[in-house]
Amino acid sequence: MTTAETLLWLARIWLIVGGVTAAAFLTIGIDRIDEDAQGTYAFRPLLLPGILLLWPLVLWRWYVLETGRDDPDARFKPVRTAHGAMAVTLCIVILGTVLFALSSRQNWPAEFEPVQLSAPDQTPSGEVSE
Amino acid sequence: MKPPVKKDTTPFFVGYFKVPKKLRSFLLIAGVAVVAFMTAFGLVSGASQDDPGDGAFRFDYGRQTVTGVIELLPYPLLHVTEGNDRIKPGHTLMLTAQGKSGVFSRAEPLEGQKVTASGIILERGALNMLQVRGGARGLGPAEGSGAPPVSEPLGRWKLAGEICDGKCLAGAMRPGRGIAHKACANLCLLGDIPPVFVSTKPVDGSEFLMILGKDGGPLPAIAYDYVAQFISLEGDVSRHGDLLVLRMDPATIEVMK
Repeated sequence: MTTAETLLWLARIWLIVGGVTAAAFLTIGIDRIDEDAQGTYAFRPLLLPGILLLWPLVLWRWYVLETGRDDPDARFKPVRTAHGAMAVTLCIVILGTVLFALSSRQNWPAEFEPVQLSAPDQTPSGEVSE
Repeated sequence: MKPPVKKDTTPFFVGYFKVPKKLRSFLLIAGVAVVAFMTAFGLVSGASQDDPGDGAFRFDYGRQTVTGVIELLPYPLLHVTEGNDRIKPGHTLMLTAQGKSGVFSRAEPLEGQKVTASGIILERGALNMLQVRGGARGLGPAEGSGAPPVSEPLGRWKLAGEICDGKCLAGAMRPGRGIAHKACANLCLLGDIPPVFVSTKPVDGSEFLMILGKDGGPLPAIAYDYVAQFISLEGDVSRHGDLLVLRMDPATIEVMK
């Protein structure tokens, strides 16, 4: 399996799981965890693209809300304390990524001279030497 | 009695209020630093990139119409017999359709026949390619007969360089090669755009060689993983008209350090 095929296979699996998650969540789950969504259906297809891509987050939030482990006040807690560290981390990650990319680049092998391994008469047209 | 409320004097920036005095110098320094950093970052990033070269669609030449003979390789070639001011007789053109599509299905019924080809030239130095118009106006039978020139074997070679899609390399994209262009190159190659190997040094006078598989078929699937990387490989080189064709041996591919 080539790299491209592997990537496509992984994407396909991800989207299939996302589709199954979306079907379950939009028909069963959303009514159980969000009372405001009960009896409303027109908006649900609009959630499909997001669920296809973010299905692990959907499943996790569904689990947290379903089991009553959710802390409803958590969303109001200030997150500013983490912003500084995240900003510095992001800067380091971006800079590190750029430096790694530049340092791991191949150099054009400009000095390599083509080498003739066998003469034309030993390699008739249409055939490939072994 | 309520205790007196301590007034918080920490300066606070609000966009539509006057900037607090204590924050002015900080904002000035931060603003200048951000602009200077982004400018420097942009300059360094740009300077570290390879020159994309002068390859381009030559719309300024206008539509080119020539007559020639089709040689049906997996990526069909046109051996020009009646050219014009820009495309001389004896020249061999690689062909492409518009977008990321080759012309094999259109050229197949015209194998070995004299045809008229019309379209726009892509040109990068000695490398060029004709993007033919749609339908028979782009590639259709012409009166008369002809035969493609006999190919001339040049032996087995070990080369170093890069596998590219010939269309982007010739000027459809800038840059039309390199790792940042790999996905585009592979899509072009999947669409049967002629693949081209760029050699570090000329082979029999040319640094551009159209690539085929070991058996003379299309570019082997394994080669797609090495597109846009600097590699060495071995293969049999032959001259078709004035174009070199490399029959690559995928087993010999080595990634250069």
